Amino acid sequence: MKRYRDYNPIAVAANMLAAALVAMFSMDPVILAVALTGGIIASLTCASMRKRDHLFALGLFVALVVINPIFSHNGATVLFIMNDSPVTLEATLYGVSAAMMLVSVLYWFRAFTAVMTSDRLLYLFSRLSPRVSLVLSMALRTVPMLRERWQKIEQAQRALGLYRDGNLIDRVRGILRIFSILVTWMLENGVITADSMDARCYGTHRRTSYALFEFGCSDAAVLGLSTGLAALTLWGLSGTDFQYYPTVSYTGSAVTIIGYIAYSGLCLLPGIIELWEGIRWNGYRSTR
Amino acid sequence: MERLQIDALSFRYPDAERYTIENITLDLCCGEFVTLCGATGSGKTTLLRLLKPQLYVQGERSGSIRCDDRDITAVPPEQIGFVMQDPEHQLVTDKVWHELAFGLENLGVAQQEIARRIAETAAFFGIETWFERRVSELSGGQKQLLNLAAVMVMDPDVLVLDEPTAQLDPIAATSFLEMLRRLNRELSVTVIIAEHRLEELIPMSDRLLVMEDGRLTIDAPPTKAVQLLPADSPLLSYLPAPVRLYHAVHGTGACPMTVREGRDYIRQHRAIPLPIQPSSRSPHPRPALTLKDLCYRYRRDDSDAVHELSLTVYEGEIAAVVGGNGAGKSTALLLCAGLVRPYRGAVKVFDRRVSDYPAEQLYHGTLALLTQDVTSLFLMSSVRDELKGYRDGERMLPFDLSPLYDRHPYDLSGGEQQLVALAKVLASSPRLLLLDEPTKGLDASAKNRLSVLLKKLRNDGVTVVLVTHDVAFAAGCADRTAMLFRGGCVSVAPTREFFSTNSFYTTAAARMARGLLPNAVTVEDIASQLSTEEVRA
Repeated sequence: MKRYRDYNPIAVAANMLAAALVAMFSMDPVILAVALTGGIIASLTCASMRKRDHLFALGLFVALVVINPIFSHNGATVLFIMNDSPVTLEATLYGVSAAMMLVSVLYWFRAFTAVMTSDRLLYLFSRLSPRVSLVLSMALRTVPMLRERWQKIEQAQRALGLYRDGNLIDRVRGILRIFSILVTWMLENGVITADSMDARCYGTHRRTSYALFEFGCSDAAVLGLSTGLAALTLWGLSGTDFQYYPTVSYTGSAVTIIGYIAYSGLCLLPGIIELWEGIRWNGYRSTR
Repeated sequence: MERLQIDALSFRYPDAERYTIENITLDLCCGEFVTLCGATGSGKTTLLRLLKPQLYVQGERSGSIRCDDRDITAVPPEQIGFVMQDPEHQLVTDKVWHELAFGLENLGVAQQEIARRIAETAAFFGIETWFERRVSELSGGQKQLLNLAAVMVMDPDVLVLDEPTAQLDPIAATSFLEMLRRLNRELSVTVIIAEHRLEELIPMSDRLLVMEDGRLTIDAPPTKAVQLLPADSPLLSYLPAPVRLYHAVHGTGACPMTVREGRDYIRQHRAIPLPIQPSSRSPHPRPALTLKDLCYRYRRDDSDAVHELSLTVYEGEIAAVVGGNGAGKSTALLLCAGLVRPYRGAVKVFDRRVSDYPAEQLYHGTLALLTQDVTSLFLMSSVRDELKGYRDGERMLPFDLSPLYDRHPYDLSGGEQQLVALAKVLASSPRLLLLDEPTKGLDASAKNRLSVLLKKLRNDGVTVVLVTHDVAFAAGCADRTAMLFRGGCVSVAPTREFFSTNSFYTTAAARMARGLLPNAVTVEDIASQLSTEEVRA
């Protein structure tokens, strides 16, 4: 069963980034509502989100909706007067749209970071340059090593009687000392890593780049579908204009509908793939 | 590759007076398993690095190294694999699969081919289960196995290894060496390995090379090589227990190489068993360190690293704590030193809870901890600066450190680093000294030196607690030994009693003497019995 996250990272990244980018640069409420729905579905299927995360998103949404009309007094339709300043319908609607945009992008990126593990990100970079991906991989290796080492040095130095006085200056000096030991240690041991790389023929040939990910027909389909739908969305929306101030105005055409449908397809693709694979799996189980 | 010929090879580092390697001639056939042994500084590493032209060593070289009548520099680099000591820093990338691919990527091999060769190698080494893991999550043994696999994936003809198991615990070291044996037997890879741990290596090697001061003094099959060693050679202490026994009693005839042969040897040569009396040091009633029902875990969802651990160490003794990987030994030591706090239970140092001490008093004059990797103590660029302000500690050592003064702490051998670190730690005149794996990476002579030093400290009134995997070391120097298992202490007894009762987790000497010579746990114990019996007979 090939789940959404199992598709080739290039296809997945194209799909998610296209969905998020369109949402980021649009103020069309229809588009934003679709983006929000799609984002929520994507993060529910891909990321392990807790109740707390959803509450945070909801809180952010409400706060944005409330804050915009308090600070922005543009708009022709006054709803009521608060503290001698008007609260307008247009500003409220603008707040809703802005909140939808921010929260939907938040959800999309949440799903993106959950799916794009370091392996997958490295894979994307390695398509650009094998060198960059190696450097990134080495950096990812170094960070946990240094963190662990810092703790070890700290313990050893503490047992040696570091932090004699226990005041701030002493503490800063202690940290500088640990840092100095860490840097020496890193440089000394970097020689070993360099030898190990030389011993394994680094720099003797033009490097290739191996990846765990295959690019098959279904990946090509998702990539093609994503780029196609994104292009269709841009084409469909090119003629529309949505203005909030001074009054809400909207210009669109029949083509816009195509844009909306295309964008819905783009955003719902993760959910559709998950649903479809789920159905197929159940069918497979029941026929066995 | 058919053969590797070294002819009259000499090597001198720039500005060095002496030759590090002098006039070595050696002929290796394809598929041989060769073990190289020698004291630290005898030139083993230099010789091995000269076999790998990519690890260019600067200096003056004469003589030749030829591979099938080609100079070694003309050999494709992937045909000679090289594995070093440090498991951690040889790894380059962050994921296991990427590490395996690294060498092939460097060679510019196509993606499909890489996939095939990685799959083969991972299957051979049993890496599939941790194929997608981060390397930072692996144990030391797994890391070193990965280093070996990452070299083997390039399909070398010759494998050169420089003390690959020095940083590993005994179980991991054994499985590493077993893998090496399989590579040699099943793929007929030529293996040249320098190592201090000869217990397992000697039975599997075809030839044993002995280096002394840059010269190759012995080159023979192991059974013969061990008999060629002179009786007063310092290298004898590097040999497996059965061989040491053979030398200690000035044996004649075939030399026992394994524990089984050693047992036969004892059976043939003993007359009447003369039981060794268990050592009767008067137990000191005053406890130096008391652990009571200690519990500790690193994260809420983990299981206990230390679980209801209770142990008492008395003043003026050397107590050894042994146990497998993840038994909680190192964590227990951190708890003792007050560096982490238990969530239940109490640690008392000299009858006072460790948490009640002000840090100033605890780490000055009460206890000291020597961590596993002593380089975390080094701050300066020379030993002289490193020891400035720590002269009191230096005076407590029975060794003279002044010849090391001008060297960089990182350039010292493992044993020398240990001494400098101990000098720093002892400067605060601790009454309780805690040591974490003090013998890791040390050669036999450095271990002997450490044993002498610990006994001297004990006689000066310092209580010593050492955590170790090295059962032979514990048997040789500890007064009492405790065994940890799954975070708790399962047995604690006077050392001799401890090791003679255990049947698996004990010294090679005790395994040889078991049931034949009661209470013998070291080679010296057995030798003393055999020789007296021979005199009597």
